[in-house]
Amino acid sequence: MPNRMKSLLFATLLCVVCSLLLTAASTGLKARQQQNMEVDRQKNILKAFGIIDDAQTISAAETQQLYRHNVRSVWVDESGRSVAENLRGPRALPLYIFSKNDTVQAYVVPIDSRGLWGTIHGYLAIENDGSTIRGFTVYQHQETPGLGGEIESRWFRKNFAGKKIVNAGGDFVSVRIAKGSVDDRMPSDIRSNYVDGISGATLTGKFLSEGMQEILEAYEPIAVQFRQKDVGL
Amino acid sequence: MGMLSKSFTYKAISEALWQSNPISKQILGICSALAVTVQLRTALVMGIALTLVVAFSNLIISLLRNHIPRNIRIIVEVAVIATLVILADEFLRAFMYDISKQLSVFVGLIITNCIVMGRAETFAMSNSPGRSFADGLANGIGYGAILCGVAFFRELLGSGKLFGYPVIPESFYQAGYHNMGLLLLAPGAFIMIGLFVWLEHALLKDK
Repeated sequence: MPNRMKSLLFATLLCVVCSLLLTAASTGLKARQQQNMEVDRQKNILKAFGIIDDAQTISAAETQQLYRHNVRSVWVDESGRSVAENLRGPRALPLYIFSKNDTVQAYVVPIDSRGLWGTIHGYLAIENDGSTIRGFTVYQHQETPGLGGEIESRWFRKNFAGKKIVNAGGDFVSVRIAKGSVDDRMPSDIRSNYVDGISGATLTGKFLSEGMQEILEAYEPIAVQFRQKDVGL
Repeated sequence: MGMLSKSFTYKAISEALWQSNPISKQILGICSALAVTVQLRTALVMGIALTLVVAFSNLIISLLRNHIPRNIRIIVEVAVIATLVILADEFLRAFMYDISKQLSVFVGLIITNCIVMGRAETFAMSNSPGRSFADGLANGIGYGAILCGVAFFRELLGSGKLFGYPVIPESFYQAGYHNMGLLLLAPGAFIMIGLFVWLEHALLKDK
């Protein structure tokens, strides 16, 4: 009996000590971690816009300053009209705008797509013509490193710059990830709607293609406004 | 006595590094060895992280060894290891966010690594804190060395890179050289680890 008491006592004590340590670390570091995540998110928006270069390492303070100066976030309803954040409906969409000298240069659409193992989070920047992709970044995913995880690699993301989400006739077709190299596999008239795929990551590419199409479809009313040069943002 | 303890510690360390290396001799920690060896960088950081966790869990458990009730010792070991790993993860996310982003899944995997439990159970429960700490370091390094060896060949042959930098000249590719995609997949890792196990056994037998 005293042995059992000793075990219980030891277990209780251990649990209390471990919980205290973990709680202290978690609450004490939470503010810092959240700030890191926010800065990382802002950095990825800046990278998608091409305001900072991929390889560039910049401090948290610089990131926040660049973000404040260049980027503003807006909400639009499903028909593409701007709405105030506190009045937005459940189907409102977030959008990030990069303007220079009071003209909109490009806008960023948040990409939260299904991947093979979890959600892929990223940003897709589109030029102010509403059809050309300016850049793409991935800031969070659970794909296999070396295979699907290559979606965050520089060569894959660079792939997207200059591609179109519309076909030669100007109709929305989204952008898709090819199996293998676009130049080898695709007829030349639709090459601008495809990016090179990652070998060994066919499914990740398939899901990301589908996710992007779905998201870009929802954002199509805004893209149309940009294409018609009739933007009220 | 000084000599004896020195030779004992020396023996323990050399065994962990070579004669009974956790991966290539005891075939422990294979699961994480498959997962993190696609790239040299993740393998290296995983090796360092695991070394620190084994060393400190060994130290703490060795300090507590005379007080831990036998019947709940495994639970106590797991609790200590899990606490250490979560603490490490929290600190990484607060102070080295970029590295933690690349590693977060793997850091969590350390808890399930049988090397950590194995050393706590077989060594730290019956040895002094100093020796246990040294044993933890040695086992971590033994594990990390094999991990880096496997990752070196997988990254070099599988994607033509080392630490993310291309090392196979472009002219090779033009001459018809292809990266071996198989090595990036789990079967490639099994084959690679198998070759390391073979190599070690063959070398030990020769002696």
